[in-house]
Amino acid sequence: MNDPEHRDLEKLGHKLDEVRRREQARATPAAPTTLGIAFRFTTEMVTALVVGGALGWFLDWVFGVHFLVVVFFILGAAAGIRNTMRAATELNAEMGKAPPAPAIKDEDDEER
Amino acid sequence: MQINPMEQFRVEPLIPLHIAGYDVSFTNQALVMCVVVAAITIFMFVATSRRLLVPSRTQSLAEISYEFVGNMIQSAAGEEGFRFFPFVFAIFFFVLFSNFFGLIPGVFTITSQIAVTFALAALVILTVVLTGFMRHGIGFLKLFVPHAPFALLLLLVPIEVISFLTRPISLSVRLFANMLAGHTMLKVFAGFVIALGAAGGIFTGLALAPMLLIIAITLLELLVAFLQAYVFAILTCIYLSEALHLHDHH
Repeated sequence: MNDPEHRDLEKLGHKLDEVRRREQARATPAAPTTLGIAFRFTTEMVTALVVGGALGWFLDWVFGVHFLVVVFFILGAAAGIRNTMRAATELNAEMGKAPPAPAIKDEDDEER
Repeated sequence: MQINPMEQFRVEPLIPLHIAGYDVSFTNQALVMCVVVAAITIFMFVATSRRLLVPSRTQSLAEISYEFVGNMIQSAAGEEGFRFFPFVFAIFFFVLFSNFFGLIPGVFTITSQIAVTFALAALVILTVVLTGFMRHGIGFLKLFVPHAPFALLLLLVPIEVISFLTRPISLSVRLFANMLAGHTMLKVFAGFVIALGAAGGIFTGLALAPMLLIIAITLLELLVAFLQAYVFAILTCIYLSEALHLHDHH
């Protein structure tokens, strides 16, 4: 098992794995910057508040009452938190992708 | 000396045109849009014209972009999402090229206009809604009904509806605000350089500081330009995936 040819092949396999790993690291999209994440969460929260408020305002105007704007503003806040949690889940899933497995099974891999 | 950092966002008619009382003038914004679409088309045509087995540099660029969008759809929407490949590809490249073209000094940034980004976002959401209803019929409305006791549904359904309604707005506002903020910041610091440079004496030397900052911000803006196009496209995939599979990811 220790003939030079085999060792050469093994070395080549390791090199290939190394290149592939580097390639993979480059291929995965750039992780969003901290500012980007903050911005994403803020827009989710703020737009939900605005949409909730606007919807309440509109319904108030349609039905000629004055309390729906309050109700829908609060619902909008809830929707905003919901959106933010969703965005966080998506980001987590995106960032937590498992690294690629080595392409060549080495003997020392099996021993371990 | 007057330096207005917002002047760069002014839409100005190049060829005034009025049809049936509507102003449909060909503006600087429309011009850049045409340039962007032409640039994407030429790039893809040139890159795929020779179809070599061992790709040339431009061809491999086209192949990388194909794979990039393909992987994005695969991971966010699965096999079925590939039906929307042309749609997602077009959206991603339109936004990406618009952002990059906008970074060239003097070129109008079309994605800094809420009208443009909202039109794109509305297109995405309309596609999602149509796909949902065509696939699931009225059952698409189940998207708004989470698994919960009936009493809670009275509260949760409105929340889900509002949450859905915010999508086109957050999608468009995110892109628009990022571009607007970045380009305004660049112009503000550029204004500092000019003002300090003109002040004379020790201030002229100080002008170097905002100059260096501009270089740093421009690099950051390059990253933002790509990232925002990516976020726009991946969210399109996620929303499409929801319409296709109706899975609730709670």
